[in-house]
Parts: sequence; structure tokens; C-alpha cells
Amino acid sequence: MSLSPQNDADRNASVIDAERTLRLIATLPAPEGIADRVKSRLQDAPRKAGVIAWPSSVSGARWTQFAAMRAAAAAAIVIAVAGGAWELYTHIQIAPEPSAVATPQRMDGGHGGLSAAGAVRKPQTLDGPVVAAPAKSDEDKSDELLPKGNGAKPAGKKVRTPGLTQR
Amino acid sequence: MEIVDSAVHDKARQRAQEEALAALVDQYATTLFRVAFSVLHNQSDAEDAVQEAFLRVLRHRETLGEIRDHRVWLIRIVWNIVLDRKRRAKTRPETDDIAELGRVLPAAGLTAEQRAAAAQHHAHVLACVEQLPAREREVMMLSAFEELSSVEIAEVLDVTESSVRSRLFRARNLLAELLGHPRSIR
Repeated sequence: MSLSPQNDADRNASVIDAERTLRLIATLPAPEGIADRVKSRLQDAPRKAGVIAWPSSVSGARWTQFAAMRAAAAAAIVIAVAGGAWELYTHIQIAPEPSAVATPQRMDGGHGGLSAAGAVRKPQTLDGPVVAAPAKSDEDKSDELLPKGNGAKPAGKKVRTPGLTQR
Repeated sequence: MEIVDSAVHDKARQRAQEEALAALVDQYATTLFRVAFSVLHNQSDAEDAVQEAFLRVLRHRETLGEIRDHRVWLIRIVWNIVLDRKRRAKTRPETDDIAELGRVLPAAGLTAEQRAAAAQHHAHVLACVEQLPAREREVMMLSAFEELSSVEIAEVLDVTESSVRSRLFRARNLLAELLGHPRSIR
């Protein structure tokens, strides 16, 4: 796509104008005292990360004294750690290894598991469920064999007389 | 005594490093602030970025002697800091930029209305620049610093000089489209 000279000039002018804005921002003065504030913050900043900060401003005459103290402190730490380790070593007794491992004998003759006590499960699903008839008591049986004294007969029941054949 | 000599030597070296760092602060704090402000558009954020940059230098002050060009090296540090901050910060509304620019831009010989209009215009330009792709935008912003040559911009961005030139060319074309038809490039 070709642009007309007028459009091209407009585009260039707008870009130049935009670059002028960027240049204006790039030349803005910094706030007063920024260098002093940065320096004071640098002085407050920790110099170097360390677990223990040993005194750095020690004069030459006392340097050997500090070195001896550091050595003594290091030796004390080593002795404390070694003593603790020895204490643990002497108090903890490791159980001796058995010479042989005895396997417990099985009480069920080696079949494993619990015994079923000879019970055999017969599922009722093949022939259909069987409903057990209620068991008759002895009194009911004698009632059927002997006539009732009051002549009353139980409904739906046939009375059988001994010696007679029912037809 | 050897230990004493070593301690004295360490102390002297530390003092020399601190003096060198203080000299760097005096010389480049303003430049770094302007670089930071051109990205963050906020004075306090820009000053924080400058302080963070010098704190990083403090942590690596042993390497100061190995640096060839301290100015470009420092600009590169602060540039990475401000880009990182800008990524993490939420997008600032354009009205904030207008207010900030109205406060910091030189207003000599301008009425209050003219100053407000200028701030609005500059904020609009900055909003268009923000819509440029990152690589083109970075080159365009750094090229606004007259003290930075294309070679130095290439060092700051860790690219070749020809990349800087081609990106700047693309950035100008895209910016012209954006200024003509805002929001057309995404």
C-alpha cells in the first residue's frame, strides 16, 4: 500500500512528536538529594550475608586474642558434639543378631486358616427356598387323636378315632 | 605480623570499594533515575529502583574493577530492575500518568490549561508507546536518551547493533500507525 506524500509527512510528524515526548521525559531532572538518599541507604545496608558476624574492627594488638577466643569456642563446640555422640553410643545397645530363625509350628496340621468344623454349605438357590413347616407340639398331637369332651371340633380339622378307618 | 597486615589490607580495600561506589552514585544516580522514570512514570518508584540497583552493586562490589563501562553496566542493571517491577505491577491507568506528568514536566511560560493539555498529550503518546511490542518499545525508549548510542543500547539489551536499528525502524512505523489509529495494534 502506498501512502500519499501528505500522509507520509503526517506520519513522520507524529512520530517525531512522540519521540520529542520521550526525549522530554528522558531529560527530566532527578529529585533533589537522590544521591545522598541512595548513599545513606547503602550505609545502612548489611555488608555481607553471614551466619555469624565476627568483629571486623579489631585493632592489630587484640587480633591474636580474638583468634585465640575463636579457636577456644570452636574447640568447645567440637568437644560438646563429640561428648554427646559418645554418650549416645555407650547408652544405646543394639540387639544381637539371632543365629537362627525359628518358625512357629502350625496347629492345624499345615492346612492354614481357621477350620470349618466339617460344616458343608448347601446353597438353597438350586431347588428354590424350602420353608420349614412349624413343628407340632405333643399336646396338639394328643388333641387330634382324642375326641373333644364338649363336642366342639376345631374347624378344618378331621378327627380320627382309633380303630376306625376314615372313608 | 601477617594476620594484622591482611586485616589492614582488607580494611583498606573495603574503604576503597566504598569510595568507588559513592563516586558511582554521585556520577550516575541522576541518569539511572531518568532511565527508571521513563519506564515507571512515577518518581518514588523510580528512586526505589535506583536504590535497588546500587544495593545490587554493593553486593557485587568486588567485581567493580572488572567492569569496562560502568555507565552502561549500571543502566543495564536498573533497566532490568524496572522491567521486572513493571511486569509485576498492575497496569497503571492513564489518568495516573497524566497527573504525574503534569506534576514533573517543566511548566515555564505555560498557563495551567496549557500545562494540563501538554500533560494529557504526553500521556497519550506514552499510552501509544505502551502498546508497542516489548522489543520495539524498549529500543524506542532507550533511544530517547541522547547519551546512549546504538552500540550502548545494544549492550544494555544484550542484542546486536543491527537488531537495535531494525527494531527502532519497526517501532517508528508501528508508532505512526498507533498515533493515527489508536488501539489498532495489539
